[in-house]
Amino acid sequence: MIPAAIREPVIVGRGLTQVYGAATVLDDVDIRIDPGEVRALIGSNGAGKSTLVKILTGAVRPTAGTVEVVGQQVHLGSPSEMIGRGVACIYQHSNLAPALSVLDNIFLGRNPTRRLGLVDRPRQRREAQALLARHGIQIDLDVPAGSLPAVKQKEVEILKALALDAKVLLMDEPTGWLASADVANLHATIRKLKGQGVGILYISHMLDEVFAICDTMTILRDGRVVAENAVADISRARAIELMIGRQLAAQTKEASEARVSRMTGSVRLKARGLARNGVFSGVDIDLNAGEILCITGLIGSKRTELVRAIFGCESLDAGSIEIDGAPIAVKSPSEAIAAGIGLVPEDRHRDGLMLGLSVSENLMMATLGRFRRGLLLDRGGMATAARRLIASLNVKPASETRQVRLLSGGNQQKVLLGKWLDGRPGILMLDEPTVGVDVGAKAEIYDILRAARDEGAAILVVSSDIEEVLAIGDRVGVMSAGRLVSVHPAKALTASSLVTMIGEAA
Amino acid sequence: MAGRYSILPLVGFFILVFAFFSFTATRFASATNIENLLSGFSFVAMLAVGQAFPILLRGIDLSVGAIVAVVGMIVFDLSLIFGVPGWLILPVALLAGAAAGALNGVLVVYVRLQPFIATLATLAAYRGLVYSISGRQLVPELSTTPLRDPWIIGLETYFDVGRFLGISSIVKLPWIPLSFVALLALVAVLQLVLSATRFGRDLFAVGGNLEGARLAGINVARVTVAAYAISGACAALAALFLVARLTTATEALGIGAELTAIAAAVVGGVSLQGGVGTVVGPAIGAFLLGVILLGLTLLGVSQFVQQIMTGVILLAAISYDRLLALRVRRAGPSL
Repeated sequence: MIPAAIREPVIVGRGLTQVYGAATVLDDVDIRIDPGEVRALIGSNGAGKSTLVKILTGAVRPTAGTVEVVGQQVHLGSPSEMIGRGVACIYQHSNLAPALSVLDNIFLGRNPTRRLGLVDRPRQRREAQALLARHGIQIDLDVPAGSLPAVKQKEVEILKALALDAKVLLMDEPTGWLASADVANLHATIRKLKGQGVGILYISHMLDEVFAICDTMTILRDGRVVAENAVADISRARAIELMIGRQLAAQTKEASEARVSRMTGSVRLKARGLARNGVFSGVDIDLNAGEILCITGLIGSKRTELVRAIFGCESLDAGSIEIDGAPIAVKSPSEAIAAGIGLVPEDRHRDGLMLGLSVSENLMMATLGRFRRGLLLDRGGMATAARRLIASLNVKPASETRQVRLLSGGNQQKVLLGKWLDGRPGILMLDEPTVGVDVGAKAEIYDILRAARDEGAAILVVSSDIEEVLAIGDRVGVMSAGRLVSVHPAKALTASSLVTMIGEAA
Repeated sequence: MAGRYSILPLVGFFILVFAFFSFTATRFASATNIENLLSGFSFVAMLAVGQAFPILLRGIDLSVGAIVAVVGMIVFDLSLIFGVPGWLILPVALLAGAAAGALNGVLVVYVRLQPFIATLATLAAYRGLVYSISGRQLVPELSTTPLRDPWIIGLETYFDVGRFLGISSIVKLPWIPLSFVALLALVAVLQLVLSATRFGRDLFAVGGNLEGARLAGINVARVTVAAYAISGACAALAALFLVARLTTATEALGIGAELTAIAAAVVGGVSLQGGVGTVVGPAIGAFLLGVILLGLTLLGVSQFVQQIMTGVILLAAISYDRLLALRVRRAGPSL
């Protein structure tokens, strides 16, 4: 332990304020991290977490406020300055240069050089190998980073941060894409760094992780610090309440208690022997009206590929699909939509939303045909329908003309859901519907899905989040290495039995 | 680094095409024809090598042909109108090219124009500049006077390798033009810059993941401006050899050269998706285009059909590049 006398905080932010136009996204926020402290930063989407992280990494310059690193005031708004001071960050999204080797990526932007600006490769390799040995990580330093699987890429990002000998390490949703074994690995690394006196800011939506790994927490709501606590002094329920506000917390609790198990209705989608060479094979699915079927499993178990193939994004090499007993061959998404299937993809920015278009245009995208009036579109009718949906989905701010990219992640996801719900497809497939969505919006999304189910929709959810699977699933399927290993009624499952099952299947 | 392996199929294809024309077109493998290839396509290769830098950043430089003309005209004016000595003209010309390129970079970084638009605009502007500074228009009587400065004319030199080795009585080897030697030096230096310097690594980072590079503390603006400046300087170098060869500069110098350069760079394995490529590749790509075009000429195929061929080769190379990118995306990380 470091003696109390020299426990000078590694980083202190004072009065940090960020104003974008009329919106104040961060309002007079103070934050302080001591050496060897793991501080959680939690809050709903739009609470200002990302903005605070961006200020601390130098990606943006705040409107007001100061930051000191180890007692020294720093010039804000410069990534190289923050890196130079020993502030490292592991970002939610990949920041690797795909064509460069792992080795070059670890030293990105600060490769050691000799005369004439030539990179000192032997030294770089020596330092990297020492780093690998110190943290017990095994990775091929010479392959291009882009060729590695997602989990390995995350490791490279972590190495990149570790190589800095950081005094402060910011981790923005570091486990977002990791399977549970890798999460444990990551947490072991965090404990080691903590022992070395590194101050860590841990941003996560997963309260489980926060309570497992963090010492203290700062809770943000609407750009302000609403609480600072030692993790030991606060209950989970209280933390959620502080994050999302009292009212919403009560609603969420009510909804999950009101849950009844069901498995009614007829088979809407019946798939037999679905296969795509080298990806998945022998998948049988019966999806009933009025149920939510969750498919879970480890990363790389090809769940995304399966739903994409059912939706016609990828071709199938074998198998048959029947909808309401009638065999169909779906060769493109437009055929799937015509057959009443909807898909909410995993990456909403890349595959789901038209970010530059309005909320209304996004909501009506898949069902524009309904608003055709001769050659033109019935704008008035669209606006009315959009306002009705916005109200029922509780999209905030409630404006149908707002550009979708200006909404928070959770609200974007609601718009994406609304796009299908208004078309009333009998069959809706969702791929990781709440990744990167805050607790409040998560609860609302669950409510929306339950309501759709109760109206008779057949819903298939791909999810890695065990809590989520157990919260909304009526039946749960476990997928492993391209096979749907087993399907169970959710009633019969507990979190631990499900985790065991996923582990054994793999 | 990533391109090291992708060079091999390119070299293989080059040899295959070369062998094909050697058998089908008489005189193709003759010393004279090889000489034509080396002297005629070293310029193209210089442009292609320079073009690799903006493309590595997911950009493009459409203005290289116009920069060739501007630099050519600057050489013409300085030498014939102002009587500036050749040893001074050479560095001035290179600096002018680099500055013209750097302006492209500034437009991309600070005015935030898309590279295609920025360099399309400077293409037009530089072309206009050529006419307004044209010594042929300002002093019409000079338009038939050839350049005589030994420093400039000296660039059009050939080395008789066969005689140097004392084997000219046994085989007839092509004479090696100085432009080709200069190209080899250029490729060697720039390839070293790309694969072994900090700047080179930064370039791949910016091209491969712009936001990641910025957050790693890389000065994205400086890297971008430098990349376009290198493209401009390469265009200036090409212009010097071109002017030396023609012993004059015309307003039409380098028209359409940007397309050939881009085609050569893409054929040479520089991905239009950014972040992937080499310097050696575009140079080989340029000579591959040269072999195909010269070979077709010797087979008696018309100039127009050759232009169609250039278009087809460019399309094929870009489609291949897209295909690779799609395959990477499919095979990429997913749940």
